[in-house]
Amino acid sequence: MIAAFAAWLAATSVSRAVTHYSWIWPTCETLHFIGLALLLGNVGVLDLRLLGALRRLPVAPLNRLVRWGVFGFAINLVTGLVFFVGAPAQYITNLAFAFKLLFMLLAAVNLAVFYLSGLARTVNALGPGDQAPAAARLIAGTSLFLWVGVMFWGRMLPFIGNAF
Amino acid sequence: MAFLAWLSESPLGEWVSGSTWVYPGLLFVHTLGLGILVGLNSALGLRLLGVAPQVPVADLEPLFPYMWAGFWLNAVSGSVLFVADAPKKAANPSFIVKLVLIAVAVVVMRALRREAFAGSAGVTARARTLAAASLLLWAGAITAGRLMAYTTALK
Repeated sequence: MIAAFAAWLAATSVSRAVTHYSWIWPTCETLHFIGLALLLGNVGVLDLRLLGALRRLPVAPLNRLVRWGVFGFAINLVTGLVFFVGAPAQYITNLAFAFKLLFMLLAAVNLAVFYLSGLARTVNALGPGDQAPAAARLIAGTSLFLWVGVMFWGRMLPFIGNAF
Repeated sequence: MAFLAWLSESPLGEWVSGSTWVYPGLLFVHTLGLGILVGLNSALGLRLLGVAPQVPVADLEPLFPYMWAGFWLNAVSGSVLFVADAPKKAANPSFIVKLVLIAVAVVVMRALRREAFAGSAGVTARARTLAAASLLLWAGAITAGRLMAYTTALK
């Protein structure tokens, strides 16, 4: 059924356009790397602060930077969908792709715990020099680990599976 | 040219191109270094350009050791990746453009640190210009690096 879906997707005009115009793939790849940097860097500043580096930073204003990390994620969601639509067959049976999705799912769960547990509000009250509670440090470390993991599995797509 | 061929046939070059996991591992490290360096630099640059005005600029200076760690991660992983494929990479125009952009970006990064963290005069116009330049230069370096896979050797 998944194979049939991939075949159907590959036959759509959108999918054909992605592989037909030779500039689309490299352009999206470049944007995907820029999005990756925006995500890792701007979310990373908050994570590093919560982990105890950059301790003098007040936490609340960092949320403005996190928005740019979310923007980076949005870039990567769109460009990632372009890759998937363009060549679905090379992703659906790719073990690295499955792990990449799993790590993204775990990152979303981690984020949900951070906001729904009220920890996000707690850490927003942290001023210069204040230490984040252990639970927030754990979530920040998990966030870094998972996003670096997403990147790792993405990089492994051509080597563990067959994607280009 | 003989030197480049010698590099790629050296034990280090053979090790990288001959093994299954060294090459992908190096690519991962290179991407991680990129994410750290360009990502943290984007946070700093955005702040200097007016995003998140409540973030005290002075307290962002400790980002530099992390950014340099990302840089050296990539200088080392990039050098080893180069050795494995020296003749082809040296002749790839995108690679030359990438190196030039990185060289200029490093100069800008050092100038930016001096300019933005010198005193308490707020963000100067020069700091904003340098911040914008560094965002564009690193984005350009990423672009050139990505395009290396698509541009072929000169001649």
